[in-house]
Amino acid sequence: MKSELEDLKITEKELESLSGLDVDEVFVGGVFGGVYRPSIFQNSMRFISFCVAEFFVGMLTFIFTLPIGFIVIRNYSQSVNELPIIAQFFQLTLGITLIILLGWNFYMWRGTKRLTFLLHLLDDIDRYNKVVQGIELLDQLEAIDHLPVNLENREQVLAALQVTRSSLVSGIMTEKILRENRGLLARRQDLLAHIESNLVTLRSIEMSDHASEYGQLLNEALAISISVHAEVQKLSGSPGS
Amino acid sequence: MNYFSAVISLLRDRSEFLEEIHNSVKLKSKISALMISSFCFFAVYGAIIGAFHSPLQMLSSAIKLPALYLITLLICLPTLYIFNVLFGARQTIAQHFTYLLTAVAVIAILLCGFAPVTLFFLITVNDYHFFLLLNVAILGLTGILGVSFLYQVMKPIASDDTSDSVKIRTSILRFWLVLYGFVGSQLGWTLRPFFGSPGQFELFRAREGSFFSGVWVALLNLLS
Repeated sequence: MKSELEDLKITEKELESLSGLDVDEVFVGGVFGGVYRPSIFQNSMRFISFCVAEFFVGMLTFIFTLPIGFIVIRNYSQSVNELPIIAQFFQLTLGITLIILLGWNFYMWRGTKRLTFLLHLLDDIDRYNKVVQGIELLDQLEAIDHLPVNLENREQVLAALQVTRSSLVSGIMTEKILRENRGLLARRQDLLAHIESNLVTLRSIEMSDHASEYGQLLNEALAISISVHAEVQKLSGSPGS
Repeated sequence: MNYFSAVISLLRDRSEFLEEIHNSVKLKSKISALMISSFCFFAVYGAIIGAFHSPLQMLSSAIKLPALYLITLLICLPTLYIFNVLFGARQTIAQHFTYLLTAVAVIAILLCGFAPVTLFFLITVNDYHFFLLLNVAILGLTGILGVSFLYQVMKPIASDDTSDSVKIRTSILRFWLVLYGFVGSQLGWTLRPFFGSPGQFELFRAREGSFFSGVWVALLNLLS
C-alpha cells in the first residue's frame, strides 16, 4: 500500500529528469542562473527562504568583488587604515555588488515571465503531492483508530490521482519540448487531446459520498486536472510562445 | 533550511552524494547549497579568530576567511578543468566545480569542528604569536585533510580510461593540489590581517613579504 503512494508522488528528482531543470520549493534552475517561483509570495516560510538566499547571494557577490577593490587600492603601499581609502574600497565593492544583485533580480523577474506555464504546473504538482500526502495521513489515522477502511473510495481516489499524475507529467514533458523547440504546433494539439480525455475519465469516476474525506480528495484531483487543462488551453491559444 | 541538508547528506552518505555529482543530478542545487553552507561555516570560524582583536576584526575576518577559500577555488578551477579535459576527462566544468566545492565544504566543516578548541585558546591565551601559529596549524591540517579528500574523490574517475591517461591525470591532480596550496597561502597573505596584531584595526596591511616569511617571523618571535 505504502509503495503505491510513494510511486504516485512526483519527486524533485523526477521533475528534474522530466523538465531538465533543477526544481525546489523556492527556485527553478538553481539559485545561480535560475528563477524564483512566484508562489513564494503566497507562503511566508518560502518567502523567508528566498530572503535568506538573497542575503547569501549578496554576501557571496561581495566576496567576489574584493579582488576588484584590491586592484584599485593596489598602488597604495601603506596599511589600509585611513578612512578615505577604506571608503573608496567599500564604495567600489558595495557598488558593484548592488548592481549585480539588481541585475540578478531583474533577470529572474524576466525569467518568471518566460516560464509562466511551467511555474503554474509546478504549483499544481505541489497541490497534487499534498493530496497524496492527505491519503497517507488518512491511512495512518485509520491504522491508529482501527476504523473500517472505505477501500472502494480509496481505490477511486487513487485511480483519479493516477490519471491526474499522467496529465501533470505530460504537461511537464511537453512544456520542456516547447521550451526547447519553440513553435511545435502539432505537439500542442496532441497534448490537449490527451489532457481532455483524462478530464473526461476523471469526471466519470463515481463516488458514493462527495462530502467524505476521500470525496474531498477526489474533488481536489479534479480541480488540479481542470487547472492543468486550462493552462494548456492558454498555452495553445497563444501563438508562437 | 535547505542549504545545510546538502552538507548533511554529504556527511551521511558520501558515496551517494559523489555518485549524484558524477551523474549530474541536481548539480545547481548542490553548487548553491555548498557555497552558502561553506560561507556560513567559514564566517563562523573567521569571527572566532577575529574576536582575538576587536569586533571590527571579527566582522572583517568573517568575510575574509570565506573569501580566501572561495576565491582560491575560482582562481584554480580553470587550470584543473582545462588540464583534465586536455588529457581525456569527460566531466563538465560544473561537475569539476561541484567536486571542488565539496572539498571546500569538508574543510569548512572540519574548521567548525576545531572552533571550540580555538575558542578555548582565545579565552585562555593572550599571546598573539601563539594564537597565530595555532591557527596556522589548524588551517594547515584542515587544508591537508580537505585536499586529500579531494584527491580520493577525483582519482577514481580516472579509472574510466586507459592507464596512461590515468597516470597523467593523477600527476595533474597532484600538481594542482600544490598549486592550490601555493595560491591559497599567498591570497591569505594578501588578505591579511585575519587575527589583527595588537594595536589599531587595519582593513588590509601593506603589500610586503610573503606568506612564508610571515610564518618564519612568527616562529622566531615565539621561540625567542
